[in-house]
Amino acid sequence: MSERNVRAEETVPEHDGEKAAQARPGDTTPRKMVPGKEETPVVVDLPKTEREPRDVAGEVVGAIGAIKDGPRVLKTYMETCVKCGTCATQCPVYFGDPSKKYNPAARSDLIRSIYKKHNTRSGKLLGGLVGARDYEDREVEEWVEHFYSCTGCRRCATFCPMGIDNSVITRKGRAILDKLGLTPDTMKRVVEISLETGNTDGATLEAFKAAIEFLEEEMRDEHGIDIKIPVDVEGAEYFYVPPSGDVLVNPEATTGIAKVFYVLGLQDKWTMSSRLFDGANYGLFTGDDKSMKADNEPYIKEAKRLGAKVLFMGECGHAYRIMKMMMEPGKWWGDLPFEIVNCMEFTAEKILTGELQFDKSKNPQPVTYHDPCNFGRSCNIVEEPRIIMEASCQDFREMYPNRGDNWCCGGGGGLSAMDDIYEFRMTITGKKKMEQIRDTDAKYVAAACSNCKRQLTQLMEYHKEDVAVGGVHDMLSRSILINGKAAERVNYDD
Amino acid sequence: MNSASFFVLGVLPYLAVVVFAAGMINRFYTWFKTPQPGKMTLFPAGGSATGGVLAETFFFPSLFRGDRVLWFFAWVFHATLALVFLGHIRVFTGLIDRVLMSIGVSPEGIDAMSSTLGGAAGVVLLATGLLLLFRRIVQQRTREISNFSDFFALLLLIAIIFTGDLMRFGTHFELAETRAWARSLVTFSPIVVNNGMFQVHALLAMVLIIYVPFSKIMHFGGIFFTQALIKRR
Repeated sequence: MSERNVRAEETVPEHDGEKAAQARPGDTTPRKMVPGKEETPVVVDLPKTEREPRDVAGEVVGAIGAIKDGPRVLKTYMETCVKCGTCATQCPVYFGDPSKKYNPAARSDLIRSIYKKHNTRSGKLLGGLVGARDYEDREVEEWVEHFYSCTGCRRCATFCPMGIDNSVITRKGRAILDKLGLTPDTMKRVVEISLETGNTDGATLEAFKAAIEFLEEEMRDEHGIDIKIPVDVEGAEYFYVPPSGDVLVNPEATTGIAKVFYVLGLQDKWTMSSRLFDGANYGLFTGDDKSMKADNEPYIKEAKRLGAKVLFMGECGHAYRIMKMMMEPGKWWGDLPFEIVNCMEFTAEKILTGELQFDKSKNPQPVTYHDPCNFGRSCNIVEEPRIIMEASCQDFREMYPNRGDNWCCGGGGGLSAMDDIYEFRMTITGKKKMEQIRDTDAKYVAAACSNCKRQLTQLMEYHKEDVAVGGVHDMLSRSILINGKAAERVNYDD
Repeated sequence: MNSASFFVLGVLPYLAVVVFAAGMINRFYTWFKTPQPGKMTLFPAGGSATGGVLAETFFFPSLFRGDRVLWFFAWVFHATLALVFLGHIRVFTGLIDRVLMSIGVSPEGIDAMSSTLGGAAGVVLLATGLLLLFRRIVQQRTREISNFSDFFALLLLIAIIFTGDLMRFGTHFELAETRAWARSLVTFSPIVVNNGMFQVHALLAMVLIIYVPFSKIMHFGGIFFTQALIKRR
C-alpha cells in the first residue's frame, strides 16, 4: 500500500514470517542491535510453557493493581471520572461511529472497574455499587480491539471537566496486552525492527547513505551548488534526529533543514548519524516502557559521543514528546549535556529575525496545516510551523478547529502503521479529519509527523481527493532563497 | 425519643465525620504521595497553572467549550449546591445572622432573604438534579457508560434535595431546634430534633457524607490533582 512499507520490506530481507515468529516469545539470547554498538540483551518476557498454563487473569489484575503505586496520572484517573460523557463528544473515533466500544469513558472503564474491585476498599466491599467488577475470563482478547481503536490524541483531556487524559489509560491497557504477547503483529514488528536496525523502516546503512547522496544530488539540481548533509561528524553542534520517513519516504523536510543550515552558514555545525536517524519510538504506542527506553537510549549516547550541544529533533511529534516531555524531565539518563530543540522552533526563530528569505510564488497553491497531536497538544509547538508556512507559502489557510483543539488525523497512537485496520482508519477515525480538510479547499496539507502524513495520504487516496500531503520544511525547501534564488524545480509529484 | 432517631441524630453524625475525615485524608494522602515522572502538560496553556486549576474548579471552562448544554446544567447545579451549603451554616449556627445584622440587615430581612434565596435555590437544585438524571438516562453516550453507582449518587442527592425542599415548603421547621442540635453535637451531649422530615433528611445526608470518600463525588477533590497534572508547566 504505502511506500513506507515497501521500503521496509526491501531493506529488511530477513525479517518476516518464520524468523520473526521464532525470535519473539521465548527468546532471551542477546540480540545485536546496531552495527558497531555494544550488544544489549533485549529481554523478552517468557510466556509460561503449555505444561504450566499462564495465569492471565492474575497477570491482568496484578498489572492493574500496580497502578496504586503510580504514576499519579493513572491513579487519579482511576478514582475521579464522573461519567459525564463529554469525552465522547470530542473523540474522533466516537465521532466516526458512536458505538459504546468507541466511547472513551467506556474503554477506560474496562481498567477502572477492575482497579476498583481489587484496589479500593469501597470496591472490595460494595462491588457494583461503586462501579467495581472482576476480570472476566478471556476478556483480554477483546481488549486488543478496544485499546487499539483509541488514537491516543488526548483531545478528550482538552474538554474533560476533570482533565482526564484517556490516552494514559489506553497506554496502560496496551502495556498489559504487550506483556501477554497480544500486541498486534503490525505494531510488534515496528518495535522489533527499530530495536534491531535502529530505525522503524528497517533501513540498512547502505540504504541510508544512498538516500543522503540522492538528497544531496537533488539539492545540487535545484540550486546548482553543493549543499551538504553531514553524517557522523564528531564535534558538530547540532545532532539532527528526524523520523526515518523524512529521509526515506518524504525526504523534502530533510532538504529543507539542510538548506536552513546552509543559509545560516552552519553547514559544518550540524550532523546526522548514519546509525541513528529515526526518532520514531513505538514503545510509546505499545505501552512497553522497557522497549521505549531501549529505543531511546542509543540516541542519548550518540548525542554524547558526537559531543553535540543540541539534540535537534525533526518533524516527528511523538519523538520530540518522548525526548522533551518524558525522557528529560523524567531524568531517564540523568542530566544531559545538551539541549533538546525542535527544528521548527529553530527555523521559526530564524525567520522572525529575518535571516531566512523566501520566494512565496514557488508555493502558490492553497495550503493548510494539520497540528499533530504530539506536537500541538503535547508539546506546544503550534505557532512555529505556522510562521514557517506563512513565510514560505502564498495562500496559507487554517483548518478549524486548530492548534490544541485540532482533531486527530485518525492514525494517532501508532494506528497509522496498522494496515489491518485500514478501512477503520479511512471511514471512522479519519472521518472528521476528511471533513476538516475538505472545508479548507487546500491543495496541500502539511503535517509535521510521519504517522499523520501516512494516514492523511491514505485518506486522500481513499476519498479520491486531489490533495498533496507533506511536511512543513518541505514547503520551505521549495521556496527558500539561497544566494537570492529559490529552487529550480517545477514538478514535485514524482 | 426512640432509639432509631437517636441513632440518626446522636450517633451517626460522629460516625459520618470520622469516616469522612479519614476517607478524605487517605485519598488526598495517597494521591499526593504517588509519584509522577515526566510531564503530561496539555497545550496551549496560558497563565499560571494554579490559576488554571482554580478556573476549572469554579467555572468549568473546558466543559464550557466541550458541551455547552451540560456546562449550563452542571454549573448551575454546583453553584447552587455551594449556595445551599452556605445556607446550612445558618441552619446550624447563628454566625451568618450575626454577620448580616452587623451590616445592618434586620432579622425580618434575613428571614425574607432566606426564604426567597433559599427557596429558589432548593427549586433550582431539584430541577437541575432531575435534568442531569434525565440526561444520563436518555442520552446514549452517557447511558452506555453509567452503572449503578452513577445513578445512586445522583438519586441520593435528589432525595436529599427533595426532603430539604419539603421541609422548607411543607412541614413546620424551627431554626432554634436545629441550632440547639448542632450545639449539642459539639458538646458531645446529643439531643434529638422531633421532626420526622428532618430526621429523614439528616439520615440521607449522613449516608451521603459517609459515601463521599468512596464514590465519584470525590471528584471535587480529585479535580485539583487531575487538572494540575495537565496544567503543570
